[in-house]
Amino acid sequence: MKKLINEFLKGIVRENPTFVLALGLCPTLAVSVTLTNGVGMGIAATFVLLGSNVIIALIKGSIPERIMIPCYIVVIATFVTITEMVMKAYSPALDRALGIYVPLIVVNCIVLGRAEAYASKNSVSNSFFDGLGMGVGFTLALILISAIREFLGAGTLFGHALIKGFEPALVLGMPPGALLVIGLLLGFFNMLKNRKA
Amino acid sequence: MKEMVKYGSTLTLICIIAAGLLAGVNVLTKSKIISQAHAEEEASLKEVLPLAVSFEPVKSEDAVLYYKALDGEGKLMGAVFKASGKGYSSTIETMVGMLKDGTIAAIKVISQNETPGLGSRVAEPTFTGQFKNILDMSGASAITGATISSRAVINSIENKAKEIRVFLANE
Repeated sequence: MKKLINEFLKGIVRENPTFVLALGLCPTLAVSVTLTNGVGMGIAATFVLLGSNVIIALIKGSIPERIMIPCYIVVIATFVTITEMVMKAYSPALDRALGIYVPLIVVNCIVLGRAEAYASKNSVSNSFFDGLGMGVGFTLALILISAIREFLGAGTLFGHALIKGFEPALVLGMPPGALLVIGLLLGFFNMLKNRKA
Repeated sequence: MKEMVKYGSTLTLICIIAAGLLAGVNVLTKSKIISQAHAEEEASLKEVLPLAVSFEPVKSEDAVLYYKALDGEGKLMGAVFKASGKGYSSTIETMVGMLKDGTIAAIKVISQNETPGLGSRVAEPTFTGQFKNILDMSGASAITGATISSRAVINSIENKAKEIRVFLANE
């Protein structure tokens, strides 16, 4: 049990996909404009990670190594398509806001990376907690980045204006802002890590 | 040869299972997706022309050209149409309510993906509020720093409004 909890926790801090592994930065840069988008993207990616990790851990024994990647991609794409359909049915506004980045979860390197590096070598329960931890770590990273960008770039959080008369720095809502925020956060987390060591 | 058959059959099997699963989910969500789109459309029709009681789509082939807006007695009172124009980073779609005499009653931006904080402000009431009960759009002012997005909305509505006025005049 303790090992499972450890599998879950490592994705959040020690091996955080965004700030430590630096995987899946493309969607992170693109969708972290508003907090709503960040949360939505995080949940969608978590679902895909969980599903693909579990299925791949289940079928890993019966897949020849040479066709591993195509098999994994089919599994991942299936979960992504399910996510997209469900999102269209129950939250069309979020689906529109995330646009192309929902189908692009297929090529998010966190998902394939975990499938190949972890789920194909570990048990189903370990893979489940690994997927969950990585998903939650990704979601938290997205929440942090998009909260900073939405608050400083548009003066709102979840679309609600917080401080009257606050003049937002528009650049943070635009692509350069994404690079700046992620770069500074990466540096900040590295500094914390070095100080601890 | 033996390997090739094994690889092929494994991959085929996985694809068949995946396709079956997706077909199932599609059946479950399809009607919900359609009804969501329908409900959204209905709500925005009401929003831009609240006085109308019912709306009737006017189609050419399969595409909806515009909606006829009818009052409580079933008489024509105006039209609602969609206008879309290329903005800065997306196509901006607006729903426009028009009265019988050709004045624009109200507009609503139904889809856009413009720069947040700049172009995305075309969806805010400060901008869309300018299009209440006006005949001439030239007085509408663009948002500072978002001229492209603002012009896209104004021009697309202006062009489409001309077409719809012709239809309304022939009714």
